Amino acid sequence: MDLDLAEEQQMVIDMAKAMLEEHCPTQLVRDMEDDADGVPADLWKQMGELGLNGLLIPEQYGGGGLGLLEGAFVYEELGRAMAPVPHFVSSVLSAKVLLAAGSDAQKDAWLGKIADGSAILTTAWLEPQRGQGEKGIALEAKTEGDGFKLTGRKRSVPYASVADQLIVLARSEAGVDLFLVDPNADGITKKQLLSQGREPQYQLDFDGVTVSSADRIGEAGSGWSTWNAVMHEGIILLAAQAVGGADRCLRETVDYANQRVQFDKPLGAFQALAHYMADASTRIDGGRVLVHEAAWNADQGRSISRFAPMAKLFCCETYRETTRACAQIWGGVAFTIEYDQQMFFRRAKALQLSWWDTPYLEELIAADVLD
Amino acid sequence: MDFDFSPEEQKFAEEVDAWLVENRDPVVMDHHRENFTQLSDTPERRAFMKKLAAKGWLGMSWPKEFGGQEIEGVYEYILNEALSKHAAPQIGKGVGIIGKTLIRHGNDFLKQKFLPLILDAEIEFAVGYSEPEAGSDAANMQLRADKVEGGWLLNGQKMWTTSAHFADWYWVGARTDQDKPKHDGLSLFLIDMDNPNLEVQSLPTIGKDTTNQVFFDDVFVPDEYLVGQRGKGFQMISEALDLERFTMFTLSPIANRSEVLADWVKEAKRDDTPLKDDTNVRRTIAHIMTDTAVAKALSTRFVCAAKSGGKPPTIESSQYKLFTTSLSQRVCKDALDIQGHEGTIMEGQDDAPLRGRFEGAYRATMNETVGGGSSEIQKNIIARRHLGLPKNF
Repeated sequence: MDLDLAEEQQMVIDMAKAMLEEHCPTQLVRDMEDDADGVPADLWKQMGELGLNGLLIPEQYGGGGLGLLEGAFVYEELGRAMAPVPHFVSSVLSAKVLLAAGSDAQKDAWLGKIADGSAILTTAWLEPQRGQGEKGIALEAKTEGDGFKLTGRKRSVPYASVADQLIVLARSEAGVDLFLVDPNADGITKKQLLSQGREPQYQLDFDGVTVSSADRIGEAGSGWSTWNAVMHEGIILLAAQAVGGADRCLRETVDYANQRVQFDKPLGAFQALAHYMADASTRIDGGRVLVHEAAWNADQGRSISRFAPMAKLFCCETYRETTRACAQIWGGVAFTIEYDQQMFFRRAKALQLSWWDTPYLEELIAADVLD
Repeated sequence: MDFDFSPEEQKFAEEVDAWLVENRDPVVMDHHRENFTQLSDTPERRAFMKKLAAKGWLGMSWPKEFGGQEIEGVYEYILNEALSKHAAPQIGKGVGIIGKTLIRHGNDFLKQKFLPLILDAEIEFAVGYSEPEAGSDAANMQLRADKVEGGWLLNGQKMWTTSAHFADWYWVGARTDQDKPKHDGLSLFLIDMDNPNLEVQSLPTIGKDTTNQVFFDDVFVPDEYLVGQRGKGFQMISEALDLERFTMFTLSPIANRSEVLADWVKEAKRDDTPLKDDTNVRRTIAHIMTDTAVAKALSTRFVCAAKSGGKPPTIESSQYKLFTTSLSQRVCKDALDIQGHEGTIMEGQDDAPLRGRFEGAYRATMNETVGGGSSEIQKNIIARRHLGLPKNF
């Protein structure tokens, strides 16, 4: 049992940290908020050149072939920097869906481009008034000739305006299917919906969009099991992202608490405030080890059916709670746009609600324990 | 990074576990005693500790010249986790605080007298630091030690000496220098509990057992029973806490209660409906299991920090203690909330759910966030030493 990092692991962290410090200043994050496309060209290019976009993609497709643990190290840094990039939908979810179930032709067409950042793929999953489980997929994939016609509405599709392909979850006769769809195909209408985390999110209307059977990813009816398995891996990385965001939020607050004087003492000398920060640090440091344990188990080929939802549940709760407590320490200024605290505060809640929210994760864990 | 024990550690864990299964004895091992299972306070438990000593499992991390095996402290951690999982008495004060302090600071007489007794499980200790005026402010001990011919005369009072009613010897902090700053005026003594001028008064608690207050009325302690240097008592007490991170309170009993609750929920019914189908119950179990996994992660964190042999893992163990004791209480509270009116049926009756395990544990765990450094003290340590915030008291 040891928590030491291998030299190469430390190098991955140092590289990501240094690149983000240089290419992802907070001003960039602010500039990208509510932007229609939301991808800063320079940062995205840097990530591609450093191999971060292909980190989890096997070497045969031009990726780094690294494991989820290394992914978690990078995601903590992305979370710390609040990096406004489509990495999660493209390099994690889409890449892993294709790797798990894609045909050779699909993999050859897209994995290399995802890895070098020249193509962005995104996922069209959620729907209005529908939940986050298998039952939530209602967008119709009606069999027609050799292919399908897609009709319905998708919500919260990140980066749809810049995506080269969509991975769409749809309901066919066989169950849930995944399709690769051109976002500019006839019959697709995009509408940006501003979001709490301020990354670009779109509502997509599908009006009889034609897809061929060659665009289906995997066997008929296998879509949900592919998606479910990929999501379990993905949420471990989002838990790491939450740890990074919470950790930076806390550190900036500690610095402020050491400088800001009231009643002739620094704020940090008041136990009521110091104890908020001690609690937050305990949750952050514990959450980080839980994330690493989950990722390590995945890399060992062991089950993550319990670890993965636990990691996201706990770390997102920690991020949200940390930003709430830190806001108390900053006082009124945390409420203003001028100070950065509000950026963490909004992102923490948005991350908690996205990609499986608290009740969904609770149910995954409860089912694993009790059923 | 590796979350598994090494093959050697794993082998030892399995060996201990198999031995405990083989030596199962409900009189010695009783989960209903909760945190008091760690004490060897009865003839049966003392006999059990003798068997453990015969296996060579006491003092494993001690230097060879004092009868130890000089192996890593993590083996004592593995041993204590296994013992507590089976609700057996644990190695603790003797091997840890007293043994290790004597090895580092004790005179030859004390080493020769006590170390063999500890290794053979022939002796039980009580520890006396707390006093009416020295709770969280541990350095504020007022028990007075006055120099007299050939020794010291002790007068005053100790509080919360859990083992005083069965221990053989008393490990006591006392003020030997009244005029020095409070941290510099303290010394450590070993006192025979049979001393007629010691009076042990039981303080019954709502937990599983009693604790005690102890009164000193001209208790004479010979010079050779002063431990280490006069005036260095507080430093030795702090150092012993740092040396003893591996055997501080264990996770197994807490993780065990989470499992017991989940297993009970799986089978229980209310109004003919399985309790496990209740959304609120499912949510509660999900959070308990998640927080239990985090407690384990925090324990992995401090064990790894302790193994690395660098600076003592003070911060890691404070975080572990803070999080885990509060979880421990919450599990008991949540269990009673799930059990509802039947949760009030007092422990020990067959008609109570789980024979009242959680009714009893709810009471027994009340003190966990206070004893051994309260949650607030842990937060002060984390705030100052980990986050670099100013001194706040």
